[in-house]
Amino acid sequence: MTVHAPSLRQEWQIGPFRKGDIIAGLLGFLVLIGLAAGVGRLFAGMGATTSLTDAYPWGIWIGFDFALIAFSGVGFTIAAVVHILHLHQFQPLLRPSILAGLFGYVAVLMLLLLDLGRPDRFYNFLLFYNMHSPLFEICWCVLLYTTVLVLEVSPDLLANLPWKWPLRLVYRLMTPVTIIGITLSTLHQSTLGTLYLNMPHRLHPLWYTPILPVLFYISSILAGLSLGIIAYKIAMAVRGQKENPAIAIGLGKGIVAVALLYLLIRVGEVIYAGELPLLLTWTPLNRLWLGEILFCSLIPIVLWATPSLRRQPWVHWVAPLSALLGVGMNRFNATLAAQSAPTSAFYSPSLLEWFSTLGIVAAGMLLWYLAVRFVMGSAVKLGYEQH
Amino acid sequence: MTTTQSELSRRDLIKGMGCGVAALMLSSAMVAHPELAHASDGEESDSAWGILIDLTRCTGCQSCALACKETNDRPNPNQTPIGLDTDAYSFVEEKQIENSVGQTESVYVKHQCMNCLHPACVSACTVGALRKTPEGPVVYDADKCIGCRYCQYACPFGVPAYEWENPLGLIHKCQMCADRLAEGESPACVAACPNGALRFGNRKQLLAQAHAQITSNPGRYVDKVYGEYEVGGTSVLYLSPVPFSFLGFPELGDEPNPRYAEAVMKQTPAIALTVASVVTALHLFMQRRQQVNGEATVHITSQKPGDEL
Ligand code: SF4
Ligand code: SF4
Ligand code: SF4
Repeated sequence: MTVHAPSLRQEWQIGPFRKGDIIAGLLGFLVLIGLAAGVGRLFAGMGATTSLTDAYPWGIWIGFDFALIAFSGVGFTIAAVVHILHLHQFQPLLRPSILAGLFGYVAVLMLLLLDLGRPDRFYNFLLFYNMHSPLFEICWCVLLYTTVLVLEVSPDLLANLPWKWPLRLVYRLMTPVTIIGITLSTLHQSTLGTLYLNMPHRLHPLWYTPILPVLFYISSILAGLSLGIIAYKIAMAVRGQKENPAIAIGLGKGIVAVALLYLLIRVGEVIYAGELPLLLTWTPLNRLWLGEILFCSLIPIVLWATPSLRRQPWVHWVAPLSALLGVGMNRFNATLAAQSAPTSAFYSPSLLEWFSTLGIVAAGMLLWYLAVRFVMGSAVKLGYEQH
Repeated sequence: MTTTQSELSRRDLIKGMGCGVAALMLSSAMVAHPELAHASDGEESDSAWGILIDLTRCTGCQSCALACKETNDRPNPNQTPIGLDTDAYSFVEEKQIENSVGQTESVYVKHQCMNCLHPACVSACTVGALRKTPEGPVVYDADKCIGCRYCQYACPFGVPAYEWENPLGLIHKCQMCADRLAEGESPACVAACPNGALRFGNRKQLLAQAHAQITSNPGRYVDKVYGEYEVGGTSVLYLSPVPFSFLGFPELGDEPNPRYAEAVMKQTPAIALTVASVVTALHLFMQRRQQVNGEATVHITSQKPGDEL
């Protein structure tokens, strides 16, 4: 890639020194700290390095993991908008989004490896089957879908090869691969909700419902569309291009529909299950529940649905970030806050858990930044994707 | 972008999303029906073993807990365990309760894996390292385990313990002495009890005996055998002199906990097929619509030269 970097730099008018590089440097620093923390965990074990216990066997690693999977839904949602719904006005979102999806899943896999008690046997799910296990299905789908994402971003790499047949092959496969990717995403995004169905004794009734898979799926679309806007905006800034506000507004209207649907099902379920009285007291858990609703549904709906607001540039940041915060909160609450441990145990993540998590998230962002800056769009630039 | 285009795009977007979500909701509606749910291991076989624990007979002597340590080669074999962990697969807890005349009294409760009939840990385990045997024990294959610790979340009794100090940690739990059972012996804890508080036998017969004991000893027991129905039934059963909730036994429904998750998991092929076909149909439909509308046919990977990325 480096061979082509100089020409790309000129082409996209990337200056010698930019704000992005400072941020990239900071991210690199976090990655180094995270690396040290990760190595520490692998050699010293989780007892010495984390706050995890038998009462709270999963901590922020899993919380971030599940939030990141939802955010990485950006890959399949934007692919669906552009390739399946053929809304080609959203094409400019596609590449930054697929890259964000890919590096999101890369971060997910790294976190998972730290969290596994036997990282040396991570491949065991390929050898031993349990069709009843949500986690088994998630492992398979994440593996297969990461492969799909690699294929989806591959044209920009393959275009630089001396041989053209791999590129042609990938182009031929692109439609089926996209459809497979959406299917795999639907499966594991919803199965993340199924995972919690095995915990009726632990999960608070405001979160526990048999329709968790549906809620997890819809919220991953919400997070995906929202991250798509952010990825697009940052990518345009990195590449020094002007963004088209109509794109964010168009997608924002779609987000209103998805957020409304989520709101209806989420609140409807609470009413249907007769759990409304649970909300009438002012407890920390209720505040978290209301916070989720506020951030992932109400704020995005109001901001995107109000014509005078959605034209404001700040809304194009605040509305998607609010949705991401809300969906992220949901995954963290389901994993931690809304779980009642069998004993009156307490979990507060250790520093090493924080450092390793931040390091891995930073690694994902850094890789995305580098890919957007130096690799993205090679296939177009080199003339292989044409009208 | 002109207004008409953006209007169109919004309608399309909503329509498309609606289709996908509707398909998934259809599948999940089927899932919400409990009659579709089946727990992992079918019906209990008539010959399965069980353990009946009579709390009125237990004196808290700890013989069972120490015998358990010994038979499972746990460290510090002479140290009385105070909780379930990787060093102790069983322990005896002292519970202070107030009796009918207002005095405090001790009831000793032996804890270990309940070896459920429809074990949630088995249903959850990513790689099938946990398994319910037809004989009754829920056994663990340490060679398969990847240490994901999902079993710890799934178990409604907080049983599986993880080796936190080991960089390559594994799960530990009572496996109802499956090895001893295979050799025709009773579980080590049962064999060690000097007070007849633990009884090993055919689960169905133990249940019948337990109910007979309740009827023929009025006032001695509460009229309930814990484990007869809880989460679909457990191989380990308890008789108690006081309501089980006084002793901290979790109040669980009669349905196996994994029922919803398993019902959803069973739908996996159906969901995959539904989504794949809806998405394909949508793709073809939208493509055709664009052609009809006279818009340019854009190949899936193509862009106009000079487009923004
Ligand atoms: S008590 Fe827990 S660990 Fe034991 S079989 Fe039941 S679910 Fe599994
Ligand atoms: S920790 Fe081991 S036994 Fe428990 S669910 Fe994971 S793989 Fe299965
Ligand atoms: S059955 Fe065996 S492993 Fe289980 S508590 Fe008794 S002695 Fe321990």
